[in-house]
Amino acid sequence: MMTPTIELDGLEVKLGGRTILHGLTGVLKSRAIGLLGPNGAGKSTLINTLLGFHVPSKGSVRVLGLDSHSNSKALRSLVGYMPENDAFISKMSGVRFVRYMAEISGLPSEFAMERAHEAFVYVGLGEARYRPVGTYSLGMKQLAKLAQAIAHGPKVLILDEPTNGMDPPARKRLIELIREIREASDICLLLSSHLLRDVEETCDEVLILRNGKIASICNLVEERQANRKFLELETLGAEATFTSALESLGCECAIFSGGRIKVVMPDSVEIREVFKVAADRGVQIRRMNHRRDSLEDIFLSAMEQTGAPDGRL
Amino acid sequence: MAVYKRRYNAYTGALTREWSRFFVLTRYAFADLFKSRFFVILLILCFIPCLFFAGYIFVANSKTVQLFMQLRGNDLFKVESEYFIFMLMAQTQAAFLLNCWVGPVLISGDLTNGALPLFLSRPFSRADYVLGKLSVLGLLLSAITWIPCLLLFGLEAGLAKDGWIWPHLWMVVPIVMCSAIWILMLSLISLAVSAWIKLRIVATGIIFITFFIPAGIGEMFNAIMGTIWGRLLNFSYVFQLIVSHGFREESGRLARRGWNEIPIPAAWGSLIFVCVVSLFILNARLRARETVRG
Repeated sequence: MMTPTIELDGLEVKLGGRTILHGLTGVLKSRAIGLLGPNGAGKSTLINTLLGFHVPSKGSVRVLGLDSHSNSKALRSLVGYMPENDAFISKMSGVRFVRYMAEISGLPSEFAMERAHEAFVYVGLGEARYRPVGTYSLGMKQLAKLAQAIAHGPKVLILDEPTNGMDPPARKRLIELIREIREASDICLLLSSHLLRDVEETCDEVLILRNGKIASICNLVEERQANRKFLELETLGAEATFTSALESLGCECAIFSGGRIKVVMPDSVEIREVFKVAADRGVQIRRMNHRRDSLEDIFLSAMEQTGAPDGRL
Repeated sequence: MAVYKRRYNAYTGALTREWSRFFVLTRYAFADLFKSRFFVILLILCFIPCLFFAGYIFVANSKTVQLFMQLRGNDLFKVESEYFIFMLMAQTQAAFLLNCWVGPVLISGDLTNGALPLFLSRPFSRADYVLGKLSVLGLLLSAITWIPCLLLFGLEAGLAKDGWIWPHLWMVVPIVMCSAIWILMLSLISLAVSAWIKLRIVATGIIFITFFIPAGIGEMFNAIMGTIWGRLLNFSYVFQLIVSHGFREESGRLARRGWNEIPIPAAWGSLIFVCVVSLFILNARLRARETVRG
């Protein structure tokens, strides 16, 4: 049986007498896990607990079967960590900084040097590797942080808000890199982000936190496979007869003001049948948006279930 | 992850021993230090007194030179405990100056841009981190205090012959022990200051203040309360007392000034207390900065 990537067993973490994580329980088995939640949900606290910086007041958390508290050193030897905030030594050149970190992870000096160069070229900073890290742009610093996280070849890569402050092309490149790393090796990925798109593009499973509690654990792969199709229509004409005709085909409909209709279609119904029904009933379809249930829907639904009626963050 | 392949591969090679990884910090710190010309000059200057002390030993053991210099009386150049006290005091003062230059930047550079979590998210503990940084000052200050003292002790033993070493062998212990407590105290104060203060000039000022202000307060306390215990805050004095006692100089300079009333255990206790407080301050700061606040 495969060891789960992360096992949460009634994990409670208190900081300064305040409970931050409230008895988190769950098993995450996928190789790429997204960590979502609004500000203050406890994402960073969970990451810090995984890294052994915080001691659980109750319960435990295991990563690849290693307890974060009792096996913290063994666990850290498997981890590559890219923190959310600035984390660099400004006067060091990029490649020396990454080599330094790799040596602290236990790589012999000559291998650390080799891997540092490789990591820098790999993340696309090959030309800037001899410049002091302090002179890098925000996006370059993010890439340098990624380079130091992968240089020693970790088994678990923890990325905290990796695309923070990056412009769209840089973000796209970073997401591609993360996907490449995931696919090129048996590395496990834990990605914490505010950007649902980042998580959606890189992860197979999502842990959604809200107020230090688990709002949802969702397997995106299964969700994508079992997902239903949605149509968002803007119509002009006899809406009621149109929707009842669609319902007779097995669709679920919801009518909103301004002729807007949301249709949930079973797999057996094709879109052209909707057009046919509209033509038969004399209804004009002014706009049609066809989409599947996105991570945003899952996230908003999780937020609603845990007490934020409009899903606001 | 070879450069030409541009694809990610996990590292599968051998790893260094865990206990030895603290030395990576020391190695990198030394590499950075030796890039500074000012540091190299300062370090060379710290060794200059040793040349004079070595010359003294040479003259003390060379009848030819003594005759050439028209020096009379065998007692003029004696290499006894007073010689080593003098040398140790001179070298520890040099160590203080070197420490004021090197110490303040050791930790602040890692904390300024939040690099500490990167160290501690690896199989590398806070204790390893402190040990790595402490080793920088430990090695450097050792190189200008007890190591040259022992080398000159060896030189004297070699030149004096006629069994000089055996009645003087006990002096190895105070040379090492007194240097060790001074180095430890200086290093921990510097690291604690470095963990809190970013600017080198301010941090250096605070290290100086740590030695001079408490001494002044201690003397004020003595004057007001009519006691001598305030001298425990004068770390330089406390160190001199420990050195004098270590070299069995009960009737030395301090005794002549009537400054030897403080019991030796209290003097050791005072310096150890400073070390513990510095370590506590350092640990508190590192602990606060080891995680990224989200």
